[in-house]
Amino acid sequence: MTARRRRVTAAAVGSLCWLFAVGTASAHGGSLAAGGRESLTIPTWLFLSTGGAAVGASFLLASFVTDRSFVERVHSWGTPLVDGGVRIPRLLGRTVGLLGLAAVLVVGFLGPTTPRTNLAILLVWVGWWAGLAMTTYLVGNSWRVLNPLSTLALVLPSLDRDYPERLGAWPSVVGLLALVWLEVVSPLADDARLLATVVLGYSVLTLAGAVVFGRETWFDDVDPVERVFRYYGRVAPVGRRGDGSLHLRLPGIALSERRLVDGADEVAFVVALLWVTTYDGLVTTPGWRDLTTPLVDAGLPAHLLYPLALLAGFALFLGVYRLAVRASTRTAETYLAPDELAERFAPPLLAIAAGYHFAHYLGYFLFLAPALGAATLAPFADPVSVPVYQLPGWFGGVALASVVVGHLLAIWVAHAAAFDLFPSRLQAIRSQYPFVAVMVFYTMTSLWVVSRPEVPLPHL
Amino acid sequence: MTDHDYDVPADAPAYECAYCDRPFAREEWLALHRGLDHPDELDDDEVAAFRAAYAEEEEELGTFRLQALGALVAIYFVLLMIYALV
Repeated sequence: MTARRRRVTAAAVGSLCWLFAVGTASAHGGSLAAGGRESLTIPTWLFLSTGGAAVGASFLLASFVTDRSFVERVHSWGTPLVDGGVRIPRLLGRTVGLLGLAAVLVVGFLGPTTPRTNLAILLVWVGWWAGLAMTTYLVGNSWRVLNPLSTLALVLPSLDRDYPERLGAWPSVVGLLALVWLEVVSPLADDARLLATVVLGYSVLTLAGAVVFGRETWFDDVDPVERVFRYYGRVAPVGRRGDGSLHLRLPGIALSERRLVDGADEVAFVVALLWVTTYDGLVTTPGWRDLTTPLVDAGLPAHLLYPLALLAGFALFLGVYRLAVRASTRTAETYLAPDELAERFAPPLLAIAAGYHFAHYLGYFLFLAPALGAATLAPFADPVSVPVYQLPGWFGGVALASVVVGHLLAIWVAHAAAFDLFPSRLQAIRSQYPFVAVMVFYTMTSLWVVSRPEVPLPHL
Repeated sequence: MTDHDYDVPADAPAYECAYCDRPFAREEWLALHRGLDHPDELDDDEVAAFRAAYAEEEEELGTFRLQALGALVAIYFVLLMIYALV
């Protein structure tokens, strides 16, 4: 690829992104950040089609890059940052993590009961689940060091029971779905006492698991939270090598590596991560309310509706992904087993999940970050008003742009993975047709969710 | 590249790589694979087969690029027209 063509590609991709920044919608945030998403100035169908077209067009643009050595150069670019074995930042990180856990438990049980002034609630939702998760895919995974439960497990004895290998990552898939269900249906963002109880329960469960099966096994295989952060960290520009040294790479590029996702269980986890970010937004749209009202009126208990929808949606996402993989083996006419393709093309989905998370939580984080700061300085004070940052009007465009950027990154990474997998370049391009079709559909769904006004959870 | 799993239909043609046993549906793909993954082990015939397959693929890619460009232009103008009308 010549320098000129590269510039043209960059300019075209840039202008497509800009196209999306024109729309307005503000990022979604739980019940803490009041204020809905604004309405669009163009018809919804046109806005969604433009999003789908941008993803389709960027696939066509990526397919112009057929120079294997160029793709390899982009993907092998990187520079070592620090050697392994740096002790002081690790100790510092562990201390911060432990202090955070202690703060959540102490302030959660004893602090003020107003959600926006309670440090436990702000620290968990704003600082950790929004802020720290964003730094994980934007910079690098620090949760590996910060995780207070992993630090505590260091000093606990271990029974070192054998972990049943056939379970693989499935317990973490179930755990992730269970945690998201709990997050959506229970007032965890409103009730500090309840949040502290859940954190305490989760800590006891995790530490018990680490004692029975060993710390390494538990946090590598079973703990869903550790796995979420580890997977998000693979999108990040700072990564860790086998020897523990830190390494700088282009964002998202590592997702094309071999054996990043190994086995049907890990594929399911990636798909689950993508689904739960969608589910989280989906249940607060008016469309969801209108769709489910007849079901609830007909006698379906609301408490069954949410877990059923969570499971049904996960099955649907996994089914569609498996179908796309099957279709891909046909369009590429390859004799590689479908599982092989499923593993190879799952990591790019993490870039989409990260883009969607960013769209979902950036506005929420910025809006409440001053409140988190104030609560950190005075954890037991209960002021009448808390400082918040009012987002400028154009901010909604950032959310839409990040959804699209996540997809663009995924398309490029999948393109590179396909080039690595197939000897024929045309075969590599054809292998992506089903995935691109699914991505176009998925972009339109995500943009629809992000652009809807936010309503309180119905039927609960 | 030897740690893959394969799923070859019983009645389909399969061209297997002599170096790593990976099966392919087309002989050109096998030639390309040999050149890309086992460049140091090839004899002269296999090198010639790789070059021929590469050149042929280059031609097919040219056609594909034209189609892709056509599709891009179509997407652009259809959207432009819609935006002008709405």
